[in-house]
Amino acid sequence: MGPIRPGERDEDRHDRTKLITWVDIERVRSAKVLVVGAGALGNEAVKNLVLFGFRQVDVMDMDSVVRSNLSRCVLFREGDQRSGKGKASLVAERARELDPEARVEAMEEKVQSLEPADMDRYDVILGCLDNVAARLHLNANSYHARVPYVDGGTRGFRGRVQAVVPPLTPCLQCGMNRSHFKVMERRFSCTGQDTVFYQPKMAAEITTTSVIAAVQVREAVKILSGRTAIAHVMHYDGLAGTSEVLALDIDPGCPNHSAGRLS
Amino acid sequence: MLTLRERIILPSQRLTGAIKMVVRIRVRNAETGATVDMELELENTVEEIIEGVSAFWEKDPGAYVIRKGRRLLRGQQKVQELDIQANEELELIPDPEGGNR
Repeated sequence: MGPIRPGERDEDRHDRTKLITWVDIERVRSAKVLVVGAGALGNEAVKNLVLFGFRQVDVMDMDSVVRSNLSRCVLFREGDQRSGKGKASLVAERARELDPEARVEAMEEKVQSLEPADMDRYDVILGCLDNVAARLHLNANSYHARVPYVDGGTRGFRGRVQAVVPPLTPCLQCGMNRSHFKVMERRFSCTGQDTVFYQPKMAAEITTTSVIAAVQVREAVKILSGRTAIAHVMHYDGLAGTSEVLALDIDPGCPNHSAGRLS
Repeated sequence: MLTLRERIILPSQRLTGAIKMVVRIRVRNAETGATVDMELELENTVEEIIEGVSAFWEKDPGAYVIRKGRRLLRGQQKVQELDIQANEELELIPDPEGGNR
């Protein structure tokens, strides 16, 4: 060991994180993460991942920036809506500015293009989406590939995070009911002549977005560091200032757990 | 204005003349704190509870779940599977599905 110098520890970007003894910073650095959705939650999640020390992050989104995104997206700038660049590319570009050693890559594709074989490349997947159909696709494929999936969702001052660790925990679909499928059906309503893609404008603001994305990234760090993830769904009420973790059972009728698939 | 603690009887119960075991529970609206009493048959499902109280409170379209204590109930679960006591309180909570726009 060579001589030490005054102030040496302050030169290490992750010195303070290393003081948290259970965090496996080497695992964090080597892990490959997929973030699906580069909007409000995706911005916060990627920012947190890179600041935490993740070095390999893929960001998927096929959408482009609109000005109303700017109230919740820390990595977007005024004028991005006219740049012609996709959300995923902008998030990747700005995240690399946060830590030039981080390899953050953009994937401007639909989530439906992902198959189980694609999931195998990742150690953990974060869902930062805004619709039930995309969540179900990501949930099923990550569960089938046995890759942990941490899903986040917000509506106004409320939020939720679910950590899915196959084959141990229930998956997203286990907790869904007819009200979720009605929401999904409304998005793809059929007029008799054509299928109309209905994109609801949901209430959203940055404080709840920040909390939910932070919990998602923390759960990813816990899973990668060998700690037990939340069991199973955290519901957050920003107005009451409360959060609770609620247990969920595996649904015996869920196709992701039925015979022939994972148990 | 809705009156608190009104009673909901699900449509399926109105159509039958047979005497069936009924359990009365209370459901709390997590967003407003309001409560409503429901009379349920053992065959009723959690989804029917969600739809009954959502209609009663004229909830905005969206996904909802029901909790019993520190446990989330699955939609297809029947009342008879819930180990539910008379006058026990369940809670309807929104299940947020936004976050990318």
